[in-house]
Amino acid sequence: MAVSLTVNGDERSLDIEGDTPLLWVLRDELGLKGTKFGCGAGLCGACTVHLNGQPVRSCSTPVEMAAGGQVVTIEGLKDGDRLHALQEAWIEHGVPQCGYCQSGQIMSAAHLLANNPAPSREEIVAAMTGNLCRCGTYSRIIAAVESVAGTESSGSTSGREA
Amino acid sequence: MAMNRRNFLKVSAGASGSLMVSMTLPGCAGIQTGYEPDTGEWRPDAWLELTTDDEVFFTLARVEMGQGTYTGLTTLIAEELEIQPERITPRFAPVAPEYRNPLYKLQLTGGSTSVATSWEPLRMAGAEARQMLVMAAARVWNVKAAECQASEGRVVHPNGIDSMAYGKLVELAAKEVVRGDIALKPRSEWKYIGKQRGKLDARAKSTGTAVYGIDVDLPDMVYGVVSRSPRRGGRVRDFNADQVRAMTGVLEVFEIERGVAVVADKYWRARKAQDALQIDWDFSDAVSLSTDDVFDSYRSAADDDPGESERSEGSFASAMEAGDRVVEAEYAQPYLAHATLEPMNATAWYRGDRMEVWAPTQAPDLGRIAAARATDLGPDDITINTTFLGGGFGRRLTQDYIEEAAALAYRIRRPVKVIWSREEDTRHDLYRPAMLHRMKASLSGGELTGWHHQIVGPQILDWYVRNAAPAQYPWAPKFMYDTLATVGLMAEGLATPKDISAIEGAIEYPYQVANIDIRHTRTDPGIPITWWRSVGYSHNGFAVETFMDELAHEAGEDPFQFRRRLISHEPRHLEVLERVARLADWQSPVPEGRARGLALFRSFGTYVAQVVEAGIENGAVRVYRVTCSVDCGQVVNPRIVEDQIEGGILFGLTAALYGEITLQDGEVQQSNFHDYPLMRQYERPEVVVDIVDSSEAPTGVGEPGVPPVIPALGNALFALNGKRQRSLPLKANA
Repeated sequence: MAVSLTVNGDERSLDIEGDTPLLWVLRDELGLKGTKFGCGAGLCGACTVHLNGQPVRSCSTPVEMAAGGQVVTIEGLKDGDRLHALQEAWIEHGVPQCGYCQSGQIMSAAHLLANNPAPSREEIVAAMTGNLCRCGTYSRIIAAVESVAGTESSGSTSGREA
Repeated sequence: MAMNRRNFLKVSAGASGSLMVSMTLPGCAGIQTGYEPDTGEWRPDAWLELTTDDEVFFTLARVEMGQGTYTGLTTLIAEELEIQPERITPRFAPVAPEYRNPLYKLQLTGGSTSVATSWEPLRMAGAEARQMLVMAAARVWNVKAAECQASEGRVVHPNGIDSMAYGKLVELAAKEVVRGDIALKPRSEWKYIGKQRGKLDARAKSTGTAVYGIDVDLPDMVYGVVSRSPRRGGRVRDFNADQVRAMTGVLEVFEIERGVAVVADKYWRARKAQDALQIDWDFSDAVSLSTDDVFDSYRSAADDDPGESERSEGSFASAMEAGDRVVEAEYAQPYLAHATLEPMNATAWYRGDRMEVWAPTQAPDLGRIAAARATDLGPDDITINTTFLGGGFGRRLTQDYIEEAAALAYRIRRPVKVIWSREEDTRHDLYRPAMLHRMKASLSGGELTGWHHQIVGPQILDWYVRNAAPAQYPWAPKFMYDTLATVGLMAEGLATPKDISAIEGAIEYPYQVANIDIRHTRTDPGIPITWWRSVGYSHNGFAVETFMDELAHEAGEDPFQFRRRLISHEPRHLEVLERVARLADWQSPVPEGRARGLALFRSFGTYVAQVVEAGIENGAVRVYRVTCSVDCGQVVNPRIVEDQIEGGILFGLTAALYGEITLQDGEVQQSNFHDYPLMRQYERPEVVVDIVDSSEAPTGVGEPGVPPVIPALGNALFALNGKRQRSLPLKANA
């Protein structure tokens, strides 16, 4: 079927089976490899992207459900050459170990701060609990999110996001 | 590791006048790489290349899987080269003898050895290059080399004002000859080692631009999936090839050694076609055991065979006779999966006379053997491109996924990427072996007088030698591979170090006890196994440190004091033990509903003591706090040490609380993160990592955090409710 969607601000049209998970469309049709495959069942959060401003597990979201929607991936989080404040915090805190889960972690954190610029520790933990990290970077993730929370940049995500 | 610089460093001019420093590690001398030297191209054995454009390339011979080699090893080079680590571009090593791990004689990353084995050679390589640059500058300026300084990528004139960038000097430097030994910088002059530094791969990994194996993209690439026998050793009798071949996008459906492959133009189409695949399996030669059968077989093996003696001091029998009490316990520990977040995957491209493979692998030279097996090519015809690894933990030491990709590419003759589903990754893992431990100790008037430890289970090298032995003899023809595997196995101790995977952490029992008897009853039920973060230490740590706790209790002594008294002859053990007790305030009262447990354990040369504070909340074990003191010798990057220790603690807690792979009639019962859970953010305890300031040679940090946390948690639960748990995972309602 023909599917149109807006990805990181660009309108994209594809001819693809509607049940194809958004994840594989992003990765293999659109070449956006930053979004990762971890479990295929919405259990690990490595594939988290924003669909119409909401975090979704792209591995379990058929592309037909995203038709006409606004998708933001890790590649679209930056504003021009300027990284998202969370990405800067991730680098500053040296969060990644193997790094494979971190795109999903950052997308979950970005959604949290976009809707709650000054979350409490409990709110951060709750928002990040759906994202697994096998390396155990959880404490650095909290520190990185907290370093951005409550600052001016905490509420702003990409201008592309509704 | 003491070594003579002249024996292993080689300096030459490369493409466009760049300066290249190559290394040959001890034990590898005389082996040629197979590449023509001075071709004008980057040579695969160049560890360090400085170009006229002022770029510095460093070949990373130990893969980056989250443990920090990308930053840590680069820091070692940077320190002696006198350049900021951020200005060095690491690149992943191709397969060449120069990049072998000297401890294993294979090009593999594992055993928490990367910093320990690179510590001297990499600093020497950096120092050699720096010295040549300084000499070249001195020649230009007509001053004494000893009066010039190297700093931040430049050589500075004795006048302190003029300077030249390395890039301007490399062509001249390549002609310099360094005579005599170069002194490495003293600790007091280090700028980067031991200092808090960022991670060189953090930007790529925070922007989605780091390339993992699964991200490799090639022109005209197709996608493969493989259905493997649900029981090990099952064979394909028949399958509905025609029906599946007719499905949208499907290019090929065919049998390979490991099962039935489906290749399609898109990944999702390959998966849908696989769903329609019906395979009739022949299980007549398959392993059809259930988990209970495994432990029954261990128990009868333990009854029948006291095992090979691995350490014997004094007489345990006499100690038992003379003692006033004998304490016995049996510990059972399950199979564990690795659960790397990036599932197994590999991409291969067969082009008639050669093959190229892209893969997240911990052992690229073994990957070549695996690919050679599946094709008509020899290992030298196969190029392995290593990517970032989305976790390793030992899983990617085995190259089954490369063998599959190679088999598919050989048939399809175009680039093909094989991706495992999470379910396949869980069910077709090679596991941390299930193990049984029988412990016995004698006490006499509260004194521990005898220690007896019988370890029951398989050893890992038996499963690894299939590709490892041929990789050690790359000149051997392929028909010899299986013979080599057998010979390699028989020659264990010659071709490879003795396989201590079952007994490590048990044989080094550190406490002062006069009579010690440690044995291994070797028995292998046929379930695939491999190294798993901290390997034998993971199960021996639980057995030894839980039993020590039981004995302290039997002796009526505080578990900290009991250990302290028996370890007073081991200063580094003693220090981490005393530090952690102080830091965790061991003697202080615990909040209502909580208790503390302790463990002390050395692995991979690193001393670790941990105190766990835990309780039971709403019917579930809750870990509140883990305090850890660690002595890993000289620290290269404190942040990475903290990360690795904390990560190891969470890895161990995941195993202690949830880790269990079970079998029913040979089939693995777990499949994804709902039934093989990993610790999540909300369960994370507060972790305090205290690092001993030391100038001893650096030791491993990737694995040593794992073993002690498992018994420390079990010991805390015993302190909480008086119920001793002798099998894992731990339960709230034991």
